[in-house]
Amino acid sequence: MKQPSKEMWVSAQDLRNDPELLAASHREFPESSIVEELGQEGTMDRLESSRRDFLKFLGFSLGAATVAASCEIPVRKAIPYVIKPDSIVPGVASYYASSFVDGGDFLPILVKTREGRPIKIEGNSISPMTGGGTSARAQASVLSLYDTNRLQSAGKVDDGQVTSMTWDELDKEVKASLNKGGGIRLVSRTVISPSAKAAIAAFAAKYPTAKWVQYDPVSSSALLDAHQMSYGVRAIPSYHFDQAEVIVSFDADFLGTWISPVEYAKGYSKGRKLNNLNSAKMSRHYQVESYMSMTGSNADHRIMVKPSEQGGAIASLYNAIASAKGAVTINAPAINDKAKSALAKVATELLNAEGKSLVITSVNNLAEQVLVAKINALLGNDGTTVTMGDASLQRQGNDKDMTGLISEMKSGSVNTLIVLDGNPAFDQAQGAAFREGMAKVATRISCGGTLDETGALGSHVAPTTHLLESWGDAQPKLDQVYMIQPTISPLFKVRQWEESLLRWSESSDLDITAEQPYYEYVKKQWQTTFFSSQSGAGSFTSFWESTLHDGLLTLGSGSSAGSNSADVTAIASTLTKPSGGDEIQFFESINMGAGQFAGNPWLQEMADPITRCVWGNYLFVPIGWDGGNDYTFFQGMEDGDRVQLDINGVSQTVTIVHQFGLMPGTFAIAVGYGRQTVGKAGRNIGSNVQDFLSMNANGYAANVGLAPTISAKVGRDKEFACVQHHHTMGVTGADPKTGKTINVDEKTVSTLGEGYQGSLVDRSIIFRGNLAALGELEEKIHHKREEFQALNDKSLYPSYDEVYKMGHHWGMHIDLNACTGCSACTVACMAENNVPVVGKKEVFRHHEMSWLRIDRYFYGEMENPSVVYQPMMCQHCDNAPCENVCPVSATNHSSEGLNQMAYNRCIGTRYCANNCPYKVRRFNWLDYTTADLFPANEPRLNGEEIPFGADNLTRMVLNPDVTVRARGVMEKCSFCVQRIQEGKLTAKKEGRALRDGDVKSACMTACPTDAITFGDLNNKDSQLNKDLESPLVYKVLEEVNTRPSVNYRARVLNRDESLES
Amino acid sequence: MVNKRLIISPLLSLVFLLTAFVGSAEVSVEAGKQLFKANCAQCHNRNMKDNLTGPALGGVTERWAGREELLYSWVRNSQAVIASGDPYAVDIYNKWNKVLMTPFPNLADDDIGSILAYVEAVYTGTEGGAAVAANAVAVVEQPKTNYTLIYSVLALLLALIALILARIVGNLDHMHRVAAGETDAPRPSIRQILTSKSVIAFVIFALVVLGGYTTVNNAISFGRQQNYQPEQPIKFSHVTHAGVNKIDCQYCHDGARRSKQSLIPAANTCMNCHKAIKKGSTYGTAELTKIFASVGYNPTTDTYIENYNNMATEDIEAIYKKWISDNYIADKELASLDAKGEKAVKDQWNNLVQSLTSEKDPKIGGPIEWNRIHNLPDHVYFNHAQHVTVGKLDCQQCHGKVEEMAVVKQYATLSMGWCINCHRQTEVQFKDNEYYKSYEKYHQELASGKRDKVTVEDIGGTECQKCHY
Repeated sequence: MKQPSKEMWVSAQDLRNDPELLAASHREFPESSIVEELGQEGTMDRLESSRRDFLKFLGFSLGAATVAASCEIPVRKAIPYVIKPDSIVPGVASYYASSFVDGGDFLPILVKTREGRPIKIEGNSISPMTGGGTSARAQASVLSLYDTNRLQSAGKVDDGQVTSMTWDELDKEVKASLNKGGGIRLVSRTVISPSAKAAIAAFAAKYPTAKWVQYDPVSSSALLDAHQMSYGVRAIPSYHFDQAEVIVSFDADFLGTWISPVEYAKGYSKGRKLNNLNSAKMSRHYQVESYMSMTGSNADHRIMVKPSEQGGAIASLYNAIASAKGAVTINAPAINDKAKSALAKVATELLNAEGKSLVITSVNNLAEQVLVAKINALLGNDGTTVTMGDASLQRQGNDKDMTGLISEMKSGSVNTLIVLDGNPAFDQAQGAAFREGMAKVATRISCGGTLDETGALGSHVAPTTHLLESWGDAQPKLDQVYMIQPTISPLFKVRQWEESLLRWSESSDLDITAEQPYYEYVKKQWQTTFFSSQSGAGSFTSFWESTLHDGLLTLGSGSSAGSNSADVTAIASTLTKPSGGDEIQFFESINMGAGQFAGNPWLQEMADPITRCVWGNYLFVPIGWDGGNDYTFFQGMEDGDRVQLDINGVSQTVTIVHQFGLMPGTFAIAVGYGRQTVGKAGRNIGSNVQDFLSMNANGYAANVGLAPTISAKVGRDKEFACVQHHHTMGVTGADPKTGKTINVDEKTVSTLGEGYQGSLVDRSIIFRGNLAALGELEEKIHHKREEFQALNDKSLYPSYDEVYKMGHHWGMHIDLNACTGCSACTVACMAENNVPVVGKKEVFRHHEMSWLRIDRYFYGEMENPSVVYQPMMCQHCDNAPCENVCPVSATNHSSEGLNQMAYNRCIGTRYCANNCPYKVRRFNWLDYTTADLFPANEPRLNGEEIPFGADNLTRMVLNPDVTVRARGVMEKCSFCVQRIQEGKLTAKKEGRALRDGDVKSACMTACPTDAITFGDLNNKDSQLNKDLESPLVYKVLEEVNTRPSVNYRARVLNRDESLES
Repeated sequence: MVNKRLIISPLLSLVFLLTAFVGSAEVSVEAGKQLFKANCAQCHNRNMKDNLTGPALGGVTERWAGREELLYSWVRNSQAVIASGDPYAVDIYNKWNKVLMTPFPNLADDDIGSILAYVEAVYTGTEGGAAVAANAVAVVEQPKTNYTLIYSVLALLLALIALILARIVGNLDHMHRVAAGETDAPRPSIRQILTSKSVIAFVIFALVVLGGYTTVNNAISFGRQQNYQPEQPIKFSHVTHAGVNKIDCQYCHDGARRSKQSLIPAANTCMNCHKAIKKGSTYGTAELTKIFASVGYNPTTDTYIENYNNMATEDIEAIYKKWISDNYIADKELASLDAKGEKAVKDQWNNLVQSLTSEKDPKIGGPIEWNRIHNLPDHVYFNHAQHVTVGKLDCQQCHGKVEEMAVVKQYATLSMGWCINCHRQTEVQFKDNEYYKSYEKYHQELASGKRDKVTVEDIGGTECQKCHY
């Protein structure tokens, strides 16, 4: 095992003590970028002014201020309702149960509305599926509602340009085309709505030549086919991660992107949390993968294989288990020795956990999927960790149908193509062929809400409503149906695609005279289906009302499928064979999906959990290990360099980033970027790698590229936006002069005693251990904390404990063992607190505004490190260093233990940020939200007409309870003080004590794994105080006596130390 | 609070009587007053003598004497009582145009007892004193002692002394110079004194200080709008509504008890009463027609106009002009509209159009755009519910005697100093609210007499993030 020189590191640069990192880190505010900015040609011209000019300006502004002051105050209007709806009390939020549906991705949600505007998404905690967790995408979906790029009416498309038309005109043209005969094809991503399916059926009944093709941008076609073959049901089983003691995942990023990540993360975290240390038990998670996915970063062991070795890896595991169980073995393709020996161990462990283990794979090839299903069957997992009675319907796409459709289109037999949902000209493996085929279709209608690549190639757009404006239902699992209800009237003249279909099919079930025809349709559907098959409710109205209120209906579980009847020998020959050469893996990123969220700036600015890069996709290149204690970078290039990527004649320029845990000979890059026809947030962001995708020999969409050529450096991304080295905390290095270990961010500014302060290089930021040696970790934490507390007790500062003991004292607990790095909390924080989006260039200049970041640390083996995520926000120190240095007391402490920030008092000295050891304070360098009173103060340094979030449509997403900060003030996490105040007020109004759970921070409610607990330390019965009892709890930097209110629980892995991966 | 209790004490005997009547110790006039305000005041006149939407309640116990239980069930659900066929109940029902009273199923026996006690107290006049006193304490008048006179007398005196002293110094100086043998020792003229360096320096200094003081003071009150009293699109008078007719503030401003905003009522709230009261006491049809035109109500036929949003302006004009002119004719007892009347109708209509339309919204129908009087900066969080429901403040405390304002004006400065001052002085409603249990130390101190009150400041009410976040 190659042991690194450091116990923990954050990046390759850190590991090899890069002098540039050192130079960049010791300054709190890296000024180089601004100097660069001003040094650019032209910038200075604008700013050039003499002393006389300055006096002139001064005189003018004084005069202007006087004139402005004497003017009358502008008249403001107060506009009440004409007829106030009973359900709305302006100033009080209402919540509606609904669902987040994005193709097959599904989440039960609650939509928070204020004055009739949806402003925030929360999880629906009564759902048996997710129990209230959310994902970053669901959190950000509310912003897409206010996308300025949305289509505002039906229209005709000519050469990518939309000319609007009325719906009547559109309907007439569409119907004419439909009646002309010829092939009619409907294309959509997976549809999980029973009512939508009924609408499609009605359409097919009216037009017999119509056929419907479902696809999934990141395809699970083989998984579905494998279950068809093995169990006779084309569905995805429900996986119960909470009941699995051994989890083996081949390539499946089930915590990040695969099928139902929130549901899986919830179950997974149940097996990973250490609540009772006396009988500590954890599941063991093996991840077999080529690049480090978010799921892989959480695994106890990562077994590295090349993408093409997955077939061999699965086959060898199958053989080991089959031979133990006396089943037929197959011919397994060869894989690397390390993986082979590791998998042999995994097999033994699986055999020891029969019925309590789980094997999954996302490899889109039939043979691999059939083998994995068979492994589960052999291990007795069917019926325990893998169940079919409540099978998931979240993927239904069929790659072969898509291929068939494309050849039909190419042959010219399709007359009308209606794309109901999705962007098949861009987001799937045969995009280029689809575009080619589309050119031969006469009428091409796209129902996308924004103009996308498919819509631009179409002849008509029939824009659908946003999810938050739609009626509908969703059946993600056989035994659960969820409601979708609108929380706002359509902002534009758009129509739900289901309604469009029904209107085109002239369905008699659609009452077009009704105010909301599709609502009536859904209701009618429910009356004849779900209502008539239930017995609980007497009348349909009460049934409907209660279902709508809860947002879901649970149905009886169907019968479990029979035994696995697959013949593995028949498919063994179609297993993927190792390629031998270099390979590149194309994967789905946590935030962008297949590109459908490209126009969403919240997701664009969300840092990737592993690389911590934003605004783009980056080619992961491996770090070469020289056999000693040093790394070499791929072709000597630095992160942010541009290279030319060529595969099979297709070429694209991409930006590289070095990645730990990447299998040698393998590269990886996320799909879904580089879109052209999309809102300004996503246009030309990242590189378009869609055309590298292809179909494999068995007719399934492949996400692997073989034999890529990567050129030498061809340029550099001048705005390489990676937040890894921003707000550096706890990075140590060697003093360039003395060689002594130092904290890189602690350079002294005086000339006397020049150099680094160099104290406390062993800072207590992360505590981690292994399950087998839990006692050691407990002892370590105990000793350290005892020592720190003994030191801290000698403090000269006065104690305010008397004050904190009264009323409330807010605190937080974060379980590092449950945090998977999914970043739902960071997006939730942006939504809740009106945190501005700053754009790529500003992030490059270290100006990102996120109040909550997730720090990622590597540790363990250098070639294949383990990872720990640490959500880091204001720690609300009861002895806060930032408060002492504020010259105007804009930041001070409340009696409830909150570190308060008064924006209107802040004068922007930034001393506080300088003095914060956790680096959680953010400064508004520019007027990102145009909150400034004087428009002249809104600079256009980014060269954009109007910054993100500054137009009136986007501003509708703002939380009215939180101040929109202007330029020049400092801001940071407030512990969601607006929620605290609201919870307190509700309790006061009801004349009762504040109960535990009345106040939950936005990050806490967003978390799919319940890693974050917020509460009142003074409430003895609170969940928070229960969580804090664990001996694994510590505070970050407790030794510096800041007395933070945020507590962390140590990271524990369940590693088998005898296994070298 | 203390003097209120004193005044209430004479009522105790009455309360005792009523206590015996309902057989419970929990009945109180004070509670009854709160309950009446919250539940009954919307429809029943508070003087208990006159009818409003509902009948005058004075003497109700007499009218139902012997059948108290039935009265109680009437309050909870009058429909049931009517259905039971009680002749008196049926009689009232018919007398009041078969309009049902809002049921109050949640009121307990004690609650109803309290309300009845309060009703009787007001009716018999025994509560009157308390009510007046309560009103008197409701508005905390800020002390307006005039120090100007004292200051000017003081300034005059000082100036006089300065003058005398200057004179003495001048004389002494002159004498000294004469004594020193200076033959030519002219006294400096007034002009010389005034143009001397020291005087000029002093004047400049004084000007700078004064100017600075004024600038700073004015800069601080920048953007404040105390006494702001804009004309409103409808001449709505709080004197008529809250003053004369004593409609509870929170009947219309229904957000105050439960929301951040107190809320300007929606036009349909106006229609609750103005469906019946179609002509105003002051302006006749001139102002009320604006509400009808806003919601699309045809006062002539007493119906809401269908598809009003898409109606042509001419049709709308015809409807409301007819209403105005009909009323004009009826009022003046004319056979048909005379020339003067025609002008009046035209003027009223033009005024209506002007009030209900703007450049941005040229439609007559739709919401009324009121001029907002109380404006807080965006970085201030203020919640009405906190102050009204939890703090139990009277509206008048911040808004002044709105019931005496024909045109509302901003009473308070709404400055931060004004907020903070109040938070420093105001006592928290500590005792009755379970929420404050967590402040154990204060409870102990109150019990031991170490502390006589807990102010908002004591529980953190002056910390930044109570209002700024």
